[in-house]
Amino acid sequence: MTERNPTVTEADLHAFADGLLPPEKQAQLETWLAENPEEAAAVAAWRTQSDGIRALFAPYAISREDDPDLIAKGRETLPKGKPASRLFRRITMLAASLALFLAGAAAGHFGPNLFARPELQLTAMEAWPQQAHSAFIVYASEVRHPVEVGADQEAHLATWLGKRMNVAGLKVPSLQVLGFQLVGGRLLPINGTPGAMFMYENASGQRLTVLVGHNTENTTTSFRFASNGDIETFYWIDGSLGYTVTGEISREMLQQVAEECYKQFSS
Amino acid sequence: MPQSPDGTGKGAAVSSAPDSFEAEVLTLLPSLRRYSRSLTRSDADGEDLLQDCVEKVLVRRDQWRGLNLRGWVLTIMTNLYRNGLRQQGNRSFVDIDDNNHLPAIEADSDPLERSRLEVALNSLSEEYRAVLMLVVVEGHRYQDVADMLDIPIGTVMSRLSRARQKMTSLLSADNVITLRRPK
Repeated sequence: MTERNPTVTEADLHAFADGLLPPEKQAQLETWLAENPEEAAAVAAWRTQSDGIRALFAPYAISREDDPDLIAKGRETLPKGKPASRLFRRITMLAASLALFLAGAAAGHFGPNLFARPELQLTAMEAWPQQAHSAFIVYASEVRHPVEVGADQEAHLATWLGKRMNVAGLKVPSLQVLGFQLVGGRLLPINGTPGAMFMYENASGQRLTVLVGHNTENTTTSFRFASNGDIETFYWIDGSLGYTVTGEISREMLQQVAEECYKQFSS
Repeated sequence: MPQSPDGTGKGAAVSSAPDSFEAEVLTLLPSLRRYSRSLTRSDADGEDLLQDCVEKVLVRRDQWRGLNLRGWVLTIMTNLYRNGLRQQGNRSFVDIDDNNHLPAIEADSDPLERSRLEVALNSLSEEYRAVLMLVVVEGHRYQDVADMLDIPIGTVMSRLSRARQKMTSLLSADNVITLRRPK
């Protein structure tokens, strides 16, 4: 950081983004950034990030009714010397509960109370692309039995899965315009509830899978893109249902598929 | 009533009425709670760290030199967190914990965007995370952060820079495509 140097350092840019420069220097940088769009874009991205981070943690800056108790409890432990760290005691407990959780998962049924805490609900959403990725790996490589119900029984597939998922009028998207034929579908657990998987294949044998599952938070999002090795996933949430489209194909193609599915599912 | 450095005021520590030191800590709690949560990766860990920190601060109250209580407490909290992690040794449980706890926030923000941000933050190492949070969330100047973490200001700048770089690449906008409503 050479402050007297006429060139702008990266440290200056951070200080600018964080509003830590004296007003006169702040104005100088503003002028400089107007002529340096690349750095200006970086600074803008940092600022957006910072706003997001602040928004993420702002709700925690609250007083709680039992705050005085927190102080009182801290005071009570005074004579007893150094207590074992609460945080890391709890992480040890977490390890135990995680083992239990995994055991439950292996047995095939989670205690519903494990999902009852609201802060856990978003987990399911972040888990969307991971679940889609796993399903693709497992089923798309399956030669003999990739699906439970074949494309020849498409109408049955739709009513059966719709019934199991408790979704009226569940549609099986048609992707023929994009060169993908329906292979069939199967019932899959998604976020611990019944969900649907549809599989498609194009003329050269490339496969893609479409997942539909229940979503705990009734909301709507943009398309998100997740990449895991060569396998790409688009995922989005529309109301009470979440969707993923996964394949080992180009992002552009996959986006077209995602948009086609989105169009058909919401019509 | 601030404690005198020679510890003659010890009697106040065992009395049940909150003294002015405790009252000051009490007013700091909201911002301490925010910083604690921004360091840790779950609500429960955040509350635990906060409570550990309050205990530590009350134990060490005689060491406070009477200036910038908030900075002093934030330093203690950061060190508690780093020490705990080192002590813990096994970081994998923290990592497994990553995705399990996302904060409940205003309903109008995009939940996927929130969780993307949270996941990106959780991918930062503790050192980077502490610097980023002290600057961005707690609004400290770089020199203050250097003093609080007992590292050179150049290290603060390089950690801030790398934290932002990593966040930018993880959050890069081409991973998000706006939905087009079919007509």
